Amino acid sequence: MSEATPARSTAPRVGSLVPTASTGVSGRSSLTLDAIAQRVTERFPEVRVQQAFGELTLHVEPDDLVEMVTFCRDDDELSCELLSDLSGVHWPAGEHVIARQTSTTGWPEYRVSREHGVIEVLYVLRSVSRNHHFRISVGTVDTAPRLPSVTEIYPTADFHEREVYDFFGVEFEGHPDLTRILMPDDWIGHPHRKDYPLGGIDIPYKNDKFIPPPNERDLREVID
Amino acid sequence: MAIDPTATPSATPPATAADLDDDIYVEGADWESVVDAVSDDHITVNMGPQHPSTHGVLRLVLDLDGETVTRLTPIVGYLHTGIEKNTEVRTWVQGTTFVTRMDYLSPFYNEAAFCLATEKLLGVRVPERAEVVRVILLEFNRIASHLVWLATGGMELGSTTVMEFGFREREHILDLFEAQSGLRMNHAYIRPGGLAQDVTDDFLERSAALVDLLAERMRDYEDLLVENPIWHARLKNVGRIDADTCLRLGVTGPVLRAAGVPWDLRKAQPYSGYERYEFDVPTRTEGDSFARFLIRLEEMRQSMHIIRQALEVLPGGPVMVDDKRIAWPSQQSLGADGIGNDPDYIRHIMGESMEALINHFKLVTQGFTVPPGQVYVPVESPRGELGYAVTSIGTNKPYRVHVRAPSFVNLQAADVMARGQGVADVVVVVASLDPVMGDVDR
Repeated sequence: MSEATPARSTAPRVGSLVPTASTGVSGRSSLTLDAIAQRVTERFPEVRVQQAFGELTLHVEPDDLVEMVTFCRDDDELSCELLSDLSGVHWPAGEHVIARQTSTTGWPEYRVSREHGVIEVLYVLRSVSRNHHFRISVGTVDTAPRLPSVTEIYPTADFHEREVYDFFGVEFEGHPDLTRILMPDDWIGHPHRKDYPLGGIDIPYKNDKFIPPPNERDLREVID
Repeated sequence: MAIDPTATPSATPPATAADLDDDIYVEGADWESVVDAVSDDHITVNMGPQHPSTHGVLRLVLDLDGETVTRLTPIVGYLHTGIEKNTEVRTWVQGTTFVTRMDYLSPFYNEAAFCLATEKLLGVRVPERAEVVRVILLEFNRIASHLVWLATGGMELGSTTVMEFGFREREHILDLFEAQSGLRMNHAYIRPGGLAQDVTDDFLERSAALVDLLAERMRDYEDLLVENPIWHARLKNVGRIDADTCLRLGVTGPVLRAAGVPWDLRKAQPYSGYERYEFDVPTRTEGDSFARFLIRLEEMRQSMHIIRQALEVLPGGPVMVDDKRIAWPSQQSLGADGIGNDPDYIRHIMGESMEALINHFKLVTQGFTVPPGQVYVPVESPRGELGYAVTSIGTNKPYRVHVRAPSFVNLQAADVMARGQGVADVVVVVASLDPVMGDVDR
């Protein structure tokens, strides 16, 4: 049996997280994405800001993560009471040509080259009182993925970090009980990594032949 | 003490309570090692994964001091089916058929959130008719989901009448869904770019009649439960959680609103045209199971209110975007052979334009490509914030689809809510969280 204790007390915080009724359902954000980005970059100048699809992403270094997340929670203007989501994406090393059905879309093929594989972990921070949310992106090498845990800041990260550990093998330092959560305890490998085989069984065919299952991903099928 | 699997239950139970403290009179398998590991009255009990009140295959490990819960550890994963991973090797349209099977009590929410994420990446906005139909179906789905919660929750507390009521009305809603999509559940009816097909001709009358029926039947639930002393005794002051703890543990939806925070994504960050409808976000301050019951009842009423407004403004027009690179044929009618088809479309691709046939063939076999990027799209599902974090690299398949499942996150609060309460209250705590294991394990 695991020793999870979800009822841990959090880091001390002055006042209450609860927004007042007047601010909770306003339907309008009090801060623009630019204002959020500015507020963060004032404090953390090295943060890389990216805006796309009407969403804000802040790329930070793993060393700054805990300080940054704590700042976003405790800052009066950002006031992110809720960690909405925490997920991972694996970007494997190597050179990939991304084919995009050029004949129909007209979009050119493009080439991606990475020296090191990266596991990108995305944190969606939400302010209930200010009604805004944005994303923090942090990368770690996929050969020995390791990040600081944010469970002390947001206890809700407990299950999320266990899930990212389960699927990507990211070790969150400081997590109270980093065990697998969705896969069986004795499972080998981390299934959402792009180097994990897709599985499937051989299909029997005539003349005692067997056809192996397809093992193609978007990245694989176009690697030269 | 060594474990002897052949041991038979020994001795007759001792007669007095004092004897009970000293002697162990149950033996067999590894039970004694479990008992030895804990002291005094503390014991550890497995509830589930095959327990009728755990809503599927949820395993709860309870540390008990006598009858009082000192710790509850939820253990999940028994229903993990790898839906997120499956979507990575299928086209964007096929993705809807997978995600709809996660939260099987509110499938339309999964479809809608996945399609909204895809449409955000594509940069398309669906036609108004599709948007309004989506809202109507989503709100009907919220009522259906809350009805199942009421039915199963009531049954777990011994009220089979409530179960009959809940499932009876839900069946009417599922009939409506079946008439539109062909399936009672797991519809795959909401598609990137709009809907799979237009609604039936009698959709308006049928929906209006159904809302009237539901509004009438709502009174039955209130008459039966709101003043019911047994219902009060089982729910009031059970599973209390305050707003601060909710936010720290990431709890959203009715549980958060029952603790006093008027947070609803339909109001806060409107999607699918929710800003056009008038509705209230009900809140309570008690934060106990009874408050959550009242919140869900009121939410059903508000959903009916939204449906009535949406039925008034339902415009005509297409239900799929007018972009041949994305749009599947959707203006279908039932042929003499009993199969739905789009005759005009078929005439066009088979008789008029070779290019249209090629386009159709490529669209169906390869799917459309989606521009590269990352989006996070949340919707307000019956259980809380359902978020889709979708990554595209510009191909015809998603690169990564992550689902922020409300049941999964809310389940973390079960420990806080159950501590200090009796074993029987654990049933109430889990029921009032309303987890769906398909949503938890994905």
